[in-house]
Amino acid sequence: MQKFKIKKYIDNSNVSRFRFWIQLVSFFIFVYGGYFFIEIGSRLPVFSCPYASGSPGGCYLIGVQHELNSTWSTIFSPRGISILKSLGIFFIFFIFLNKAWCGYVCPLGTLQDWITKLRKFMGFSFVRYDEMSFKKLKKIKYLILVLLILIPLAINNSFFGLPVLPHGMHTPFCQICPARIILPLFNGDMSQIFVDFTDTTTIIMTSLGLMVAAIFLVGSFVKKRFFCFFCPMSALQFLFSKIAILRLIKDGDKCTRCGNCSRVCDVGITEIADDVLSKNIVKDDCMMCFKCVEACPEEGALKVKVVNFDIFSATEEGFFKRYGETDDPEHLKKHGLLNSNEESKKENND
Amino acid sequence: MINATDQDRYNRLKKTSTIHYNMEVNKVLSEIIDDFPDTLSGMEYFYNKFKPLEAGESIYPKGKKLIASMCIHVPVELIYALDAIPVRICSGAYSADTAGSDFLPAKICPMVKSTLGALYLDMLPGNANPDLIINPTTCDQKKKMGEMGEEIGKEFYVLEVPPSKDSEEARQYWQRTVKKLVKKLEKVTGNKLSRRKLKRSIKAVAQAQSEFRRFMRLRKNAPVIFGKDALLVTNSYFFDDISNWTEKLSILNDELEERIEKEATVTGPRTPRILLTGSPSIFPNMRTPILLEKLGGVIVYEEFCSSSRMISDTVAVDEWFLYDMVPAVADRYLKPSTCPNFTPNDDRIRKILLAMEDYKVDGVVYQTFTGCQLYDMESRKISKELEKFGYPVLNIELDYNPKDSGQLTTRLEAFLESLKENKRKK
Repeated sequence: MQKFKIKKYIDNSNVSRFRFWIQLVSFFIFVYGGYFFIEIGSRLPVFSCPYASGSPGGCYLIGVQHELNSTWSTIFSPRGISILKSLGIFFIFFIFLNKAWCGYVCPLGTLQDWITKLRKFMGFSFVRYDEMSFKKLKKIKYLILVLLILIPLAINNSFFGLPVLPHGMHTPFCQICPARIILPLFNGDMSQIFVDFTDTTTIIMTSLGLMVAAIFLVGSFVKKRFFCFFCPMSALQFLFSKIAILRLIKDGDKCTRCGNCSRVCDVGITEIADDVLSKNIVKDDCMMCFKCVEACPEEGALKVKVVNFDIFSATEEGFFKRYGETDDPEHLKKHGLLNSNEESKKENND
Repeated sequence: MINATDQDRYNRLKKTSTIHYNMEVNKVLSEIIDDFPDTLSGMEYFYNKFKPLEAGESIYPKGKKLIASMCIHVPVELIYALDAIPVRICSGAYSADTAGSDFLPAKICPMVKSTLGALYLDMLPGNANPDLIINPTTCDQKKKMGEMGEEIGKEFYVLEVPPSKDSEEARQYWQRTVKKLVKKLEKVTGNKLSRRKLKRSIKAVAQAQSEFRRFMRLRKNAPVIFGKDALLVTNSYFFDDISNWTEKLSILNDELEERIEKEATVTGPRTPRILLTGSPSIFPNMRTPILLEKLGGVIVYEEFCSSSRMISDTVAVDEWFLYDMVPAVADRYLKPSTCPNFTPNDDRIRKILLAMEDYKVDGVVYQTFTGCQLYDMESRKISKELEKFGYPVLNIELDYNPKDSGQLTTRLEAFLESLKENKRKK
């Protein structure tokens, strides 16, 4: 019975509010944690950027680019085992939170959510994409993932007899990643805002980086979670998503396809509403913020599970708590709710 | 210009139709109230909503614009937010059917005929005198009926509903249609849609939805209310003030909860539980539900646009500004709708199949009005799908003429008998 009560309390709760606080704490840890001697390792599935002096660790993408920046003979020697080891560490981190790393922990994700809050505060509408072209654009993240693996290899090894790439292309993704430029700003470090004039490659890569950072800021102002659509970390995570512990499960039989879930979705996933056959409904852009579950009025149609244990489910009661209750004084007055509260207060005072 | 004899004819028609309408209403009400034992006290309010009215007496508050709609696809949230009153005028009156027939071909659905007739004769719920009549382009007959508007001296506003709802294109199209409707409503009411008022009206409708869903949840138990009563509750949603309606339903729900606790059911445990779907039963056309329940069945779920389809589905807004609230409201009237004018319409089958389990239904009665192609065409697919799972289905066809109930009675009786037999075997 006690267990029942706790579950009901959670189902009625406002997960978005909870998420806001988790994000705030995470942002602090992953941008300032280093100053407090926090050390989480350098194979993290989020943008914890070592370029920022306060970072408590490093993101896995930076690690994998360094590791692959070597010749085939090194990679296939016993030293290559370390590449597998770091993939293993990444995987162990990832498997617990699944894509919730993006929705709850990633500082770059949090930053975009704050920029969205700023837009809402200013009363501007968000931008809608044309669906068809957008579906194609989303594929870019996989392309970036492949490139960030191939380019370091191509610096040291010749593919099909082609000349090797210049060394200036090392850690190519980091050079264009907005985290490298933006996160250090929070540590008061502006040194990443520069163009490296060493040679043509560095000029191109560093100016590209500055452009991406600018696009990041403007893009996330007009579109929720703009950068996440192109994030190679999101692509890499999705490869392992099916076997993660935290899951988002849909019961298609209970779904009316009302579309509440997809319309509150920050990344605009439509399958969550339209697909009534899949059980595992985590898509590549999903960041597991669970706003969809909050917006679903159908008992048990969407469920958040840890392995097979329900931790948060869509309920009628929860939906109407979140979306039906009003704090509008005129409405409350009309139904005598405001008066009775005041009266009871009076009674208490007496 | 109507000449004197025409005017005379019209007045005579109106007078006789009104008399017939009142007779019809009284007869159906007495069947609903007196022919069943043990009525719920919470139903009193809803019964009173259907009492015949004296001519000319409008039940609506003065000074507010009245917006009539002919479908569930008209977003009531917007109407409330603009300080106007929505009234759904789809008619179930046989007495208005004849008047409508004058303007329409013979093989037309009686609901369309009756609605047009009621408009022509000003026999709308609560003597409504609408400032705007919104006609959504759902089924062909309703769509084309709008063209008769000029002939009966009324103006219809055409609300363009897409023929399919699955694609993003349809959704965009519909959202633009709704934005255009906002402009029209603003013009008619003279008010401007504001963020605060729309938010308030979305929440007020959500309260009604929440209460209605509670009502439906209670009906999953051993039956404590008849379907004929449930249909009056939802039928009064057509024209009742939404917060009054919610409040009264809440009182009724409390009573039902008490009855469930006391196990004071309206029927025995052996009574076949029926799901009623198809062409909508609209008061006073309550023939099928009344017959079904008089003959010893109980309706536990109605998949009708005069019932669950009209109220259940919700609005979820992400950013409480007009730019997101208006599309959110629009979505609620498109995406979850199981109206057969959409193709494909698999959602309707899935909804019925889920209800079969949730409401422990024993059999389905599928009602089609003579001349309604869409429900007729879908009955085949739905029957097949239900039979696949072993659920018995009875397809019936009827119009608004109450006289030919003989055959209907025999068929319903036989169907209920076979359901009882099935239950006994279990």
